[in-house]
Amino acid sequence: MGTLETMKDIFNNPNKIIEEWKKDGKKVVGHRCMYVPEEIIHAAGMLPYPTFGTPEPIKKADSYFQPCACEFVRNLFDLALDKKFGFLDSMVLCNTCDAVRHLYNMWDTYVDSVPCYMVNNPQKMYDESGFKFYRMELEKFKKLMEDLSGNKITDESLKKSIELYDETRRLLKELNDLRKRDIPAISGSEFLRTSMASMLMPKENANPLLRKLIDEVKNREIKNADGPRILLTGSIIDNPTLIELVEDMGGVVVVDDLCTSAKYFWYTTKPNNDPMDAIVRFNLERTLCACAHPSEDRYDYLQGLIREFNIDGIIYFNIKYCHPFVYESAIFRKKLEEEVPTLTLEVDHSLSGLGQLKTRVQAFIEML
Amino acid sequence: MATKVTAPGKKSLQTTLEIGKAIRAYYGGIKEAQKAGKPVIWSYGLVPREIFHAANAPVIYLEHLPLMIGAKQLSGHYIQIAEEEGFSRDVCAFHRCFLGCAVAKERDPYLEKFFAPPNLIIASNLPCMSESKSFLYAADHHDCPYYFLDAPINTWGKDIPEYAIEYFAGQLKGAIDSMEEHGFKVDMDKLKESINLTKKMMGLWNEIDNCRKTVPTPMSTVDGITAAYPLIQLPGTELGVTLFERLLEELKERVEKKQGVIEDEKLRLMWFGVPPFYNMGLFNYVEKYGAVVVKSMVEYIAGGAFDPSVMDPEKPLESLAYKALVDIVNPTYTNMVDFIVKAVEDFKIDGLIGVVKRSCGLLPGYMRLAKDAVYNGSGVPMTIFDLDGLDIREYDDVTSKANLDSFVESLLANKRRQ
Repeated sequence: MGTLETMKDIFNNPNKIIEEWKKDGKKVVGHRCMYVPEEIIHAAGMLPYPTFGTPEPIKKADSYFQPCACEFVRNLFDLALDKKFGFLDSMVLCNTCDAVRHLYNMWDTYVDSVPCYMVNNPQKMYDESGFKFYRMELEKFKKLMEDLSGNKITDESLKKSIELYDETRRLLKELNDLRKRDIPAISGSEFLRTSMASMLMPKENANPLLRKLIDEVKNREIKNADGPRILLTGSIIDNPTLIELVEDMGGVVVVDDLCTSAKYFWYTTKPNNDPMDAIVRFNLERTLCACAHPSEDRYDYLQGLIREFNIDGIIYFNIKYCHPFVYESAIFRKKLEEEVPTLTLEVDHSLSGLGQLKTRVQAFIEML
Repeated sequence: MATKVTAPGKKSLQTTLEIGKAIRAYYGGIKEAQKAGKPVIWSYGLVPREIFHAANAPVIYLEHLPLMIGAKQLSGHYIQIAEEEGFSRDVCAFHRCFLGCAVAKERDPYLEKFFAPPNLIIASNLPCMSESKSFLYAADHHDCPYYFLDAPINTWGKDIPEYAIEYFAGQLKGAIDSMEEHGFKVDMDKLKESINLTKKMMGLWNEIDNCRKTVPTPMSTVDGITAAYPLIQLPGTELGVTLFERLLEELKERVEKKQGVIEDEKLRLMWFGVPPFYNMGLFNYVEKYGAVVVKSMVEYIAGGAFDPSVMDPEKPLESLAYKALVDIVNPTYTNMVDFIVKAVEDFKIDGLIGVVKRSCGLLPGYMRLAKDAVYNGSGVPMTIFDLDGLDIREYDDVTSKANLDSFVESLLANKRRQ
């Protein structure tokens, strides 16, 4: 089996990772959103596990959340109510949107089996007073992780974790760079599976696999690469179906500004003797999420992607009621369209209504 | 010819009529001030307005202007304009309405009386994170400077740690610096005086609330929502104190005379969610059953559930920071749910009405939590149904009234069985 297939297998069967990790009695900490520092969890000897949803329709969660709450969040809560996250020793959320704030409220109230914690991150970047506030919050979080694991987090262990996670980010970026070519080495859907598998795996296992994969695909060329080059952005996409839909319609997805892809690996930690300060600055010196201020920074980043990846068209996939991206797409649309055509689509996380989406994507690709 | 189904709410107090006049006078004054060369600020309702009063700054609030537009049944028109600009129907109707007002090429005579373009925008994520960016669009449209005030969510309950207060006080200082940079002079002595006045106002509000707890209630939420206006717009002002003093006096008199809003008060209700601003008469609709909507959650936005004794004029920014962070609408859920449970007990509520504004990212998330906490605590039931309090296009009068009918009838039937 090639490494690309191995990654696909890990993506399809993440339970194997958990079983393997838990064999020695080690703990797993679930999390959602990018301001939860995985390095602190790892430095305590636990596995940080990014929680993703499923395309299943919502069942129990709809009697807790109103249907006007983000479907991804309702889906996560549905899985929690169904005890699908029963393997977690704790769940950690952060302050990224109103829906995630409510996920904390609901989880803390109604899910007894897995305790939930909220990291209170500022939403304003590049602000020294925000760094100080976040540092205090992270110190509390560090202590919580120490108590949960029974292990002391030292500066040395934290530095090692930072280096390990940065290496994953560097390798994913290196792999992603192979999509800059006229004929990319890896397709959008293949990349998403690989990126998500790498996020799920212990990084000690992910990094050698990524190195091997880069080696295997560096001279590869994907088929059907003569269509328009697409930048995907918007809400979280945790299933390759939407990317496959674009690819099936003739688009070549060459970069995806998603929580499950570029947002995860785009930046690495800056050298710093104080590892906690390094984490603080890593998270608060970048505006990658639409929730963060200032927005200009994120716009510049998107412009950079357009240039670097030679983009012909942008597609925003906004999950219904994902307010941060619904606003961003409305605010950025006019400016982005001065650079490249931009299509904004409202999608259901459960992937219903794919037929209609297909028609709109097809029309967009044909127009390009 | 179609029958008009909406109606303004019937107020029963003299002071709330005066407050209504004060609102119109305030907004009318903004336009005049700008004509006279004074810069105008646009901001959000929960940004502590004491800092604006300390600079004599005319301010238009994003939540308040749509509310006035909604009461005149004009919200649908401006919301439509924002949608044509690319804003999805999923985003908050208040923000869409305000953005529609902000970018409209032509404004109707009512809005035109109050509308003044911004010279500075001070935005915040308190309490709605997701909507915190809508002002960016307005800032871009009016080519105006923009300051963002970041509020940490409240994960601590009532014991807000020093470092959080320090952070938000620093953000307020940043807002003041931005104001000074753009033509305002913030008088710190006046700010301290404002803290004293806010403290006094909050104390009066608590006394007003105590009067409203009596049976029969001397004041329904129809008056209450207008009466809460000074909490939003006038904290830290002499006018706010005077209006609350008069209101308290009027209520005390009614309590003494045992004069209720209706003659035979059988049921006491509480409203959770955005009131129907274009149809405040819906609150009066239940009176035919002998039911009164005694309170609504919206009256507590901007500090209505706040203990004023903790405010220290010598630490004005820290006091304002504490007041803002501990506000019940600042997530997470603890303070909000505790407050609802306590309010239901204190106001002797028989039933809680929860309405869901589909485009709201904040309040609908509390519905189930409030319903369970109240029912488990006191056995008081809650009904929940869809009702967008601002976007009149979404309003369904028959369904809304049917929901109220069935809830009130079941409460009355329960009472009869007791």
